[in-house]
Amino acid sequence: MIVLEYILLISVVVCAVAAPLCKRPLVMVIVYMAFSLMMAVLWSLLQSPDLAMTEAAVGAGITSILFFLTLKKIHALKGTKDE
Amino acid sequence: MSNGPEKQDWRTRLVSWVDGDREPKDQSLFVMEQRHRRRFLPTEEEHERREKTRLHRFFNWYPVAAVFIALTLVTVLLGTVLQMPLFGQESNPINNEVAEHYLEHGEEDTGSSNAVTAMILSYRGFDTLGESCVLFLAVTSVMMLLLKDGEDEDGKLARRSAREADQEEHGDIILKRTAWVLTPFIFLFAIYVLLNGETSPGGGFSGGTILGAGLILFSSAFGQRNVRVIMDRKTYSFIRTFGLMLYALLYGAYIFFGANGLPNYLAGMALLIDLAVGLVVACTIYGFYALFSTGEI
Repeated sequence: MIVLEYILLISVVVCAVAAPLCKRPLVMVIVYMAFSLMMAVLWSLLQSPDLAMTEAAVGAGITSILFFLTLKKIHALKGTKDE
Repeated sequence: MSNGPEKQDWRTRLVSWVDGDREPKDQSLFVMEQRHRRRFLPTEEEHERREKTRLHRFFNWYPVAAVFIALTLVTVLLGTVLQMPLFGQESNPINNEVAEHYLEHGEEDTGSSNAVTAMILSYRGFDTLGESCVLFLAVTSVMMLLLKDGEDEDGKLARRSAREADQEEHGDIILKRTAWVLTPFIFLFAIYVLLNGETSPGGGFSGGTILGAGLILFSSAFGQRNVRVIMDRKTYSFIRTFGLMLYALLYGAYIFFGANGLPNYLAGMALLIDLAVGLVVACTIYGFYALFSTGEI
């Protein structure tokens, strides 16, 4: 279990560093989503399932949806130019 | 400088001001010497060149200033952290009798066997009340900014329903099928988490978030018209306000009846408070999605 924790911690740091370095906003949001998902697993490994559930729903789900909506509104996604 | 006349002057001016005369008697004190304003209109090229140099200078100095500010902040924060007590030591100020009391007497004090729920909803219920108010106000301000008028101006409503019908017909088939399978289970899980907040992990915030996420999935797959069947704008506002009011009322009663020394008659109340928080949170999340995507609820 401790190995999994280490892997997750390293990937969290990698994701956190990678997110602002991405060129495309869409990739950025997806990397951020992955960060939230791994944080959720980490919370549940740290024995706080309350936080894990909220993190999975808010961080990986709703924040990303709101980001995607914003990207769609400012026409930063492919295929949303002609609206 | 003669004091007398000036004082006199000041008095007469005050009197005339009280009498309602807005013009000062001695104009020279107030009206500065009028000078022609300098009219300075650079030519187009000159203006452009100047803007360019300004931008250039800005971009030259920007990284320097950014690094400087970041370094200053890092120094201040690190200095603060170094002053703090070390992690996990027994003599730390957080290791006092409060946590022990919460863990030992939480169940008999609040009637909920989940220590986290006992903490969030009972011991520190005012904190949660404030958070609910923040969510409520956030949705209210987003509504003020983004909500479109509900009045039918030049066939707006007709156009909207036409667009929605088009969206429903040509929606993504994968999304539709997935949502068709997943949505009931998401709602079921949300209700389970909401109702079991007292005894197991979960509670108002998590359950409400999952409920809101399920609503978002449903509305993005099947269109907002189908959500509007069960929850139009009036119902939405009613549920939102009802949740907050229920929380305030219940928590007020909770404090009033369950105060220090009185027997706790309201052991099962955490469940209802959980439900109220869940309603507020779910409405907040769905409201954000609906307002950001179409500007309507």
